[in-house]
Amino acid sequence: MDLASTLRRAARGMREEARLHVVSVSSLAIAFLGLGVALLVLANLDSLATAWERAGRVTIFLRDGARQSDVDELATALSSIPGVTTVTHVSSAEAREQFVADAQLGASLETLPPDAFPASIEVELAGGSGEVGSQAIADRVTRFAIVEDVETYRSWFEQLQGLLATGRGVALALAILVLFCVLFVVGNTIRLAVAGRRDEIEVMKLCGASDRFVRDPFIVEGAAQGFVAALVAVVVLAIGFVLLRGPLDATVASLAGIRTVFLHPFVALGVLVAGGFVGALGSALSLRRYLVV
Amino acid sequence: MALFNFGKKRPARESGESSHRPFAFFRAGLSPQPSAANKPILVFDNVTKFHRPDQPTLRDVNLTIERGEFVFITGPSGAGKSTLIQLVHRRQNVDEGRILFCGKDIARLTSESIPYLRRNLGIVFQDFKVVSHWTVFENVAIALEILEMPRRLVRSRVAEALDRVGLKGKGDQITSTLSGGEQQRVAVARAIVTEPALVLADEPTGNLDPHLALDILTLFEEIHATGTTVLFATHDHTLLEQRPHRIVYIDDGNVKEARSGLSQWRGTPHTHAPQSHEPRPSAPSISQAARVEDAPSYSPLGAGGSPDFAPLLG
Repeated sequence: MDLASTLRRAARGMREEARLHVVSVSSLAIAFLGLGVALLVLANLDSLATAWERAGRVTIFLRDGARQSDVDELATALSSIPGVTTVTHVSSAEAREQFVADAQLGASLETLPPDAFPASIEVELAGGSGEVGSQAIADRVTRFAIVEDVETYRSWFEQLQGLLATGRGVALALAILVLFCVLFVVGNTIRLAVAGRRDEIEVMKLCGASDRFVRDPFIVEGAAQGFVAALVAVVVLAIGFVLLRGPLDATVASLAGIRTVFLHPFVALGVLVAGGFVGALGSALSLRRYLVV
Repeated sequence: MALFNFGKKRPARESGESSHRPFAFFRAGLSPQPSAANKPILVFDNVTKFHRPDQPTLRDVNLTIERGEFVFITGPSGAGKSTLIQLVHRRQNVDEGRILFCGKDIARLTSESIPYLRRNLGIVFQDFKVVSHWTVFENVAIALEILEMPRRLVRSRVAEALDRVGLKGKGDQITSTLSGGEQQRVAVARAIVTEPALVLADEPTGNLDPHLALDILTLFEEIHATGTTVLFATHDHTLLEQRPHRIVYIDDGNVKEARSGLSQWRGTPHTHAPQSHEPRPSAPSISQAARVEDAPSYSPLGAGGSPDFAPLLG
């Protein structure tokens, strides 16, 4: 196969049908953008899950009327456990003040009942201790009489994992949708291109062109459409990400305790390669149906 | 497996030949094996073609075209001239009989092999079949691109072909801007640029006025003079009367020899076509070309009347 000739003829075909290809690429770019957004959300949820998994946190709620000496003894015991970085005693009053400050409700402290917020000990674990470490602490402190309850945030983590699984499912469904979209759009574009170049194909066949000689430029055109559409989508996504990153980091991300991330370079590259491959596939399927050479 | 095996094999890139090809590429000017040289270039052997079950378009056609011949195929409209041509380039296939091209039955070619057959042919049609929005260069170069010829060689070969058909310097023009006669010249240039052994012309003058028709015929005769076999289908009696080539008449599916070109040429002074090992002379342009009646050197035969096929083979 003469690759240079194939590329030259494909370029000529795209030049001659420029409007058709622009419309096709635009449609496909929107589809790829939808997939890109889903992948971006998924990447950030994954980042959040990883952060939560690595950095463990345990809140030990104390019974009302717990003696200060017992609390200090518990705090000392917790500090001696390997992997524990900080141990902080939060009194009922401090918890109430913290809540009001975080929630920005503007409500006066008098409206809340005095026992609304139990005293607690906040335990931060070193990175990597994660779920296993927090569960071990929970098992050990429940023996103390002053401990009423232990929150390891495991249920939150499990909910996040569930959300991630859902997100992956949505992304997969979107990917399949985009696949069919690309096959459909590229297939129809190539069908129109074949119809528009019927005379060229006839001339080539009469000159002794093999089926492959006739088909290859169309395959290249389909691959180019898919690749360029994916590239446009990734570039638009990157621009949007840069523009929205500041506000997002200031609000949602700070509450969740992470910074937003863009698609991993390999994921972005994968989207481009997949775009090219699916475009070529769409073209090949269309040619099989519409190009009788 | 190559159907044609020639002793002198050229590099694939230059010749357009590739391994495992079922139909080797050859052209006028290359030396074939002696066994191929002794065979007529085209033989119709009891060929019958039906388009309707009860009425064959061609019936029991027996016809032999020798190498280097110029043959008019004529007959009324619908007689089967185009069908005969189309059977040779396998746009259609025979229903009965066989067609031997250089000794090989092309009726039995698989669809994968047909492109390789066509690379050995130059085909010109009444409706030109040029791509109107391509440049003249692109229309001619496509035949060489199919052979995967290097770009540099394509440029020089196309320039040479355009020169031969009198379109020198028009390579960059969009083909649709040319006149009908010029567009047909583009088609002729495309047909000869690969230097095929056999050129098929299916009513190439049908859309041209008489003056242009004569010009195009003269162009084919120039091509013939370089050693190429030409099958020229026409119903234009004016052309037949002006040129003393062999005439095959088709009527109602039957083929008759109306005039033997060979006998016409016997006894007239001839010159040999150039030998294959000799440098190929550049063909004259239309303006330089002598009329056939003034130029007996167009004969494919040697002075003694015996066929001199060697220089005419691909």
